Amino acid sequence: MRGLMRRIGSALNLVREMMIPRKQGMRQITRNMGLTLLILGAASIVCSLMNTVSSSDSAVPMVFVLAVLLTARLTDGYFYSLFATAASVVAVNYVFTFPYFEFNFSLTGYPLTFVTMFAVSVVVGMLTEQVKRQSRIEVEVEKEKMKANLLRSVSHDLRTPLTSIIGSTAAVLENYDILSDDVKRDLIGQVRDDAQWLVRLVENILSITRIKEGAVQIRKNKEAVEEIIAEVLSKFRNLNPDTVVHIHMPDELMLVPMDAMLIEQVLMNMLENAVLHAEGMTEINLKVECAEGNAVFTVADDGKGIDETILPALFTDMFAHAEKMSGDGRRSMGIGLSACASVIRAHGGEMHAENRPEGGACVSFTLPMMEVTENGSQR
Amino acid sequence: MAVRGKVLIVEDDRAICNFMRRVLEANGYEAVLVYTGREANSMLASHCPDIVILDLGLPDMDGMEVLAGLRRWSLMPVVVVSARTDEREKVRALDAGADDYITKPFGTSELLARIRTAIRHTRTTNGNVGIAKDNRFTARGLVIDYDKYRVYIDGRDANLTQNEFKLVALLGRYAGRVLTYDYLIREIWGPNKAYDNQILRVNMANIRRKIEENPAEPKYIFTEVGVGYRMIEGD
Repeated sequence: MRGLMRRIGSALNLVREMMIPRKQGMRQITRNMGLTLLILGAASIVCSLMNTVSSSDSAVPMVFVLAVLLTARLTDGYFYSLFATAASVVAVNYVFTFPYFEFNFSLTGYPLTFVTMFAVSVVVGMLTEQVKRQSRIEVEVEKEKMKANLLRSVSHDLRTPLTSIIGSTAAVLENYDILSDDVKRDLIGQVRDDAQWLVRLVENILSITRIKEGAVQIRKNKEAVEEIIAEVLSKFRNLNPDTVVHIHMPDELMLVPMDAMLIEQVLMNMLENAVLHAEGMTEINLKVECAEGNAVFTVADDGKGIDETILPALFTDMFAHAEKMSGDGRRSMGIGLSACASVIRAHGGEMHAENRPEGGACVSFTLPMMEVTENGSQR
Repeated sequence: MAVRGKVLIVEDDRAICNFMRRVLEANGYEAVLVYTGREANSMLASHCPDIVILDLGLPDMDGMEVLAGLRRWSLMPVVVVSARTDEREKVRALDAGADDYITKPFGTSELLARIRTAIRHTRTTNGNVGIAKDNRFTARGLVIDYDKYRVYIDGRDANLTQNEFKLVALLGRYAGRVLTYDYLIREIWGPNKAYDNQILRVNMANIRRKIEENPAEPKYIFTEVGVGYRMIEGD
């Protein structure tokens, strides 16, 4: 009998080394251990109650088998369920069945009960691990798909301005003496515009890759909203001097935790989308307000609005509509908006888009005003 | 045209070197090009340029090393060129003694403005011609009177508090140059307040409400988000 215990003990050691997922945080260990003890405690209480009600012990092993099963399902790795098995063996044999407080393995059916418990803990633990691995694989596949989509969409978006740059420069170089100065200036201006477009594209790609694999690499600092708006506005005015932008902002200073560079980029994307896509737009309204502990940023235009067919999937189905829209060349906004949405999600905020009843599109996002210290949101 | 100054360009990309050289020569500067950190070190000593344009990503060493080496023996102005949009990189360069920075991609007007500002700051002891002459800084409607400790907007006293005046005065002395958050905090509140950006933000917000018409579209003091503040160049 002592031999059996020793064997279980050494098996436990072996299992502990092999099967506890490595790098388990202290918090996770506490959680698993707590769960195990909670389940075993519950099983003990149930058995004590049953003991007082009826004199038969026959249900006791079943209760502990159930406890082992639950432990195996709810904890990580094999260690905790095997620990529960060992504890259950002790509890069933020593405490809750006749003869009480004495080990007795000679009663018929007992070895079977223990083997059953052991098998349950191992099999359920294995199944649980498998399910977890399966879902990990699915996440991997999803990530790969996103990467492939991103690459496809990027190479498409790169090709158009590059073609235009090569064409324009070749036109100037090969026809230098024929073309008038005005035409040359026009062609060179086109090259500069295309290059600026490429810069923005690359910045968007960089921010997507910074927010990769759910492990968010944003650095949040408390920033003054008016400073962010001012910088975005001056950059935007440099590129689009003729666009009318109205700013609506509360008078008092708003300090919001954010990664300033990324939020600037989001706002820039929203403003530029209004310029690129809102046909018939005459003015843009950029509004910042404070609502329910969130800072709400809204960009509204009075253009033709967003196509109702792509609106529901504007942020979630990142690339489907980008391909749909590739008809009009570089004007796709797939990367821009999906980058924006992932930046905002990484900040613990939300992004919305809708068409305004009075015409035009309205894109908004929220940022929590309080510091969120959930796992991974800060580094 | 008289030569405005000798510029040493340390940059490994030939196309960017070429474009900077053309722009500088067209604007009356003499440009000397080097492509590696080692060349830069020897040319710095032999040429003694008026200003250095230093790329941080060099093939043979980090541009920060060149900067650190130069600062051991010279105060010549250095404008750092950085492809990294990482603010911390810029702050590190500024704190290591760079006079200003410019982020790739940049336009020619931006490049020339940075060079002008950096050269002027070494030529006038007080950093600004106006301040050197009559102890006043003037930029459009903004006047900083260093004798009376007053700031005027379109002739009206802006009623700044003592610390607010110190901040504006400091930015005015280095008008056109970006001053990092840490530098400003150290200068105004002393070394113990370091890393408490909030006090600086609140003061700047108050200043903005006193001197700017619209805080979202400042005319005088600009924010370089993540790095610091920059006063508009004086008249």
